[in-house]
Amino acid sequence: MAQQVVTVMENIYLPHLMVIQDVIEETPDTKTLRLHFKDEALREGFTFRAGQFGEYSVFGVGECTFCIASSPTRKGYIECSFRKVGRVTSALADLDVGDVIGFRGPYGNSFPIEDMKGKNILFIGGGIGLPPLRSLIWNCLDLREEFKDITILYGARSVADLVYKRELAHWEERPDVHLVKTVDPGGETPDWDGEVGFVPTILEKMAPSPENTYVVTCGPPIMIKFVLQSLGHLGFSDDQVITTLENKMKCGLGKCGRCNIGDVYICKEGPVFTAAQVKKMYRDF
Amino acid sequence: MIIKRNDLKRLVEDLIGQGKRVIAPIMRMGLVEYGEIGSFDDITWDYINPRNSFKEFLFPQTEAIARYRIGKKDVELEGVIPELRETIVLGSRPCDAASTASLRSVFTWGAEEDPSRFRDDFYLMREGVTTVMTIACLKGDEDCFCTTVGLTPESPEGSDILLKETVRGNFAVTPVTERGKAFVEEWRDYITDEREDLKEIEYPEVLEGIDTGKIGARLSDVDVFDDPVWQEVARKCIGCGACTFSCPTCHCFDIVDEATGYEGERRKNWDACQFEYFTLHASGHNPRDTQFKRWRNRFLCKFHIYPTKFTSTGCVGCGRCIRVCPVALDIREVMEWLSR
Amino acid sequence: MDREKKLREKARELLESKEVDLVIGYGWTRYGKRVAPVFITRPEDVDRLIWNPMCVNNLTLYITRKYPDVKAMGRPAVVVKGCDAKTVNVLIQEGQLKREDVVLLGIPCEGVVYRQELYDGEVTKENVSPKCVVCDVKNPPLYDHLIGEKVEEGSGFEGARNIYQEIEELDKKPEGERWAFWMEHFERCIRCYACRQICPLCYCERCIAEKNMPQWIDTSAHGRGNVAWNLKRAMDLAGRCVFCGECERACPVNIPLNLINQKLSMVVEESFNHRPGYESEGHPPLIVYSLEDREDFIR
Repeated sequence: MAQQVVTVMENIYLPHLMVIQDVIEETPDTKTLRLHFKDEALREGFTFRAGQFGEYSVFGVGECTFCIASSPTRKGYIECSFRKVGRVTSALADLDVGDVIGFRGPYGNSFPIEDMKGKNILFIGGGIGLPPLRSLIWNCLDLREEFKDITILYGARSVADLVYKRELAHWEERPDVHLVKTVDPGGETPDWDGEVGFVPTILEKMAPSPENTYVVTCGPPIMIKFVLQSLGHLGFSDDQVITTLENKMKCGLGKCGRCNIGDVYICKEGPVFTAAQVKKMYRDF
Repeated sequence: MIIKRNDLKRLVEDLIGQGKRVIAPIMRMGLVEYGEIGSFDDITWDYINPRNSFKEFLFPQTEAIARYRIGKKDVELEGVIPELRETIVLGSRPCDAASTASLRSVFTWGAEEDPSRFRDDFYLMREGVTTVMTIACLKGDEDCFCTTVGLTPESPEGSDILLKETVRGNFAVTPVTERGKAFVEEWRDYITDEREDLKEIEYPEVLEGIDTGKIGARLSDVDVFDDPVWQEVARKCIGCGACTFSCPTCHCFDIVDEATGYEGERRKNWDACQFEYFTLHASGHNPRDTQFKRWRNRFLCKFHIYPTKFTSTGCVGCGRCIRVCPVALDIREVMEWLSR
Repeated sequence: MDREKKLREKARELLESKEVDLVIGYGWTRYGKRVAPVFITRPEDVDRLIWNPMCVNNLTLYITRKYPDVKAMGRPAVVVKGCDAKTVNVLIQEGQLKREDVVLLGIPCEGVVYRQELYDGEVTKENVSPKCVVCDVKNPPLYDHLIGEKVEEGSGFEGARNIYQEIEELDKKPEGERWAFWMEHFERCIRCYACRQICPLCYCERCIAEKNMPQWIDTSAHGRGNVAWNLKRAMDLAGRCVFCGECERACPVNIPLNLINQKLSMVVEESFNHRPGYESEGHPPLIVYSLEDREDFIR
């Protein structure tokens, strides 16, 4: 035994402390937290790539996995958005500006932003699937000249379920972004000015050209399934379509053994995959 | 080299006297299990394989990884450094010793690229203070199948020192690793250069009709994963964690917080892919929502994920999952099916 | 064996007539000499069914809501010993099962072994399951088809350890000693939940051990979490446990769960004059309130 003698212990499970700088209520059950590192050196030195995720923790309650929803181009802080569904997210939702939480990360791979340069980008998000895309959207917008057309198709069950409403308004106003927002039939309000219809339906109506285009999509599994079908109809190949998967995670580091889909560990080999990769996976999701 | 039984006793008593932790098979509640001994006489010699593997001394079932105090607007956080005691596992079996390669490969997966991120030092540091003195098995029981998965009752893999019983009841000593050599050097006074005849080692029968290479190849086929036979083979599975917790290579864990009032610990606890809640999302979705899917995952992990990702064996043929299963679900039956 | 032959005949008949879609019984495993639950769906497979003193499992487990996959296979027939049949009564009492939903193949039983590996061709006072020593249901109290002739009731295992005596002896010990006894056992618990998973009466949709809002029971396998888990489970079974003994048999670390469960059964019997499993009418006493309930626990 003793293949390797450890001289200085690394505690890979030890989180960094982060202070909540801002709390934004996105929907009745969804919040965004802006966090900055307590440790000043980390505040300066922390880097990540769009698509990566982390383990956020409330001390005394536990850890929870979400993507980093802010752009790596925005230094000094990170943001996460989450829906209050379980034990940790409920505790997180109860916190306020100034409270301290734990963060481990960044983990996982990232969107192939270098490959996307010089291409049209079509973002397709559904519901709480927008946060991982948001990181990349802002990343692209902050380097706007490096990309061609940027189109965002975002849908939610109802108007109330749309996240990042302020940013949606901003993107709508920007001449260099084409935003299409939609809500499921019945989810509209009298003053709703967007589309009404499921995301795949609207997508087929938009009929984007597959030429020189990358699609990045994230949303509920059922939406992804039909979006992939629609993209197929529109002539997109599976290598042009990128998605980010999620599964129950604990360590985020390929050790705890629960996020695998067949033989692929989402935390370590993902969470970003092309549609071609997803189609090759074991039907274990 | 030979160590006489009485000298082994002196050696063990000396190790204990030096404050070292000696783990050996002991009898507790009618079961032979690996446990810390207080004296040489605690050791049980009449055993095939203890009910637990010794992985719990490298990767404890529950351990604190961080401690904290929660203040009004602040948190004091401190990482836990495991208390290390030099440990000697005496009387390990070759299958268990071989299993440490699997644990190590998971707990260091990715460490080549980034040790500060992917090296689980809780495991690695314990391993670093552990010397494994394996005693070759004289025979197996009807559930041992090491020879079917490429090991033998006298395989040296994973051991620092391999002992083989002699006809006079002493042990022939073979150092395997550098650590083992150093250990033998340190205790050279207790070891003689005599030669004694070894007791005969009876190998478990290699099970005909089982071919781990073929199993791996078939599991690489996504369609085999969808075969309805999985449902049949695992129908009786009750979804407990007896097999995974007894298994020397199972490594899954949970991370939980336990706090009372304003202070608490974050702990790393064994978990099992057989549990319904293991993969349950907070949204209510569960990718492995029925028991056969969970059982299939465990099998896939052992015979496909490990061999393809970690280049080490995920199953060492110790037979514990068979012995311990309350519904006699025998992994060999599934291995046989997939060898066809 | 005669009973085995009759069992196969009956199973064939039920499957051929399509009265049932599957028969849940006992069969040999491929390797070694073990008996395991088998699910027979085709008449030509009935010869896989066996009956011998290694048939320890309580197969009614598979007709609980824990097994939607088995339920999806259709109407089941289940091989039951007397003790197993008592489980069916409790499941009916608790609204988990309708009598007509299952065909019971009752097998008169003269004792099974405590653990299969102890069997050497004969059930003896050394290897017999403790439930059989005090058994009064050698003939199932509930069945649709009785497999073979009835046998004489009464234990034939004089001199075997008697669980009620053991409980009495433990009760005589001072409190501190009893606590230490249980602590020593619970500390060894590995939280594999085999006790819960094998128990046909542990059918909660979400076990309290898995509820985390709030976290009632520490999931860590340390003293505190283990005591909480084991005591909670024992309390939940009080007045319901039929002493099939499966939890103790399934326990990989030999925690004497029969002792604690039967102790609680004794308390419930003394307080409510109720012994679970002997009838399918009424309700277990701890889930109903009656004006006649004793209140002497309030001091």
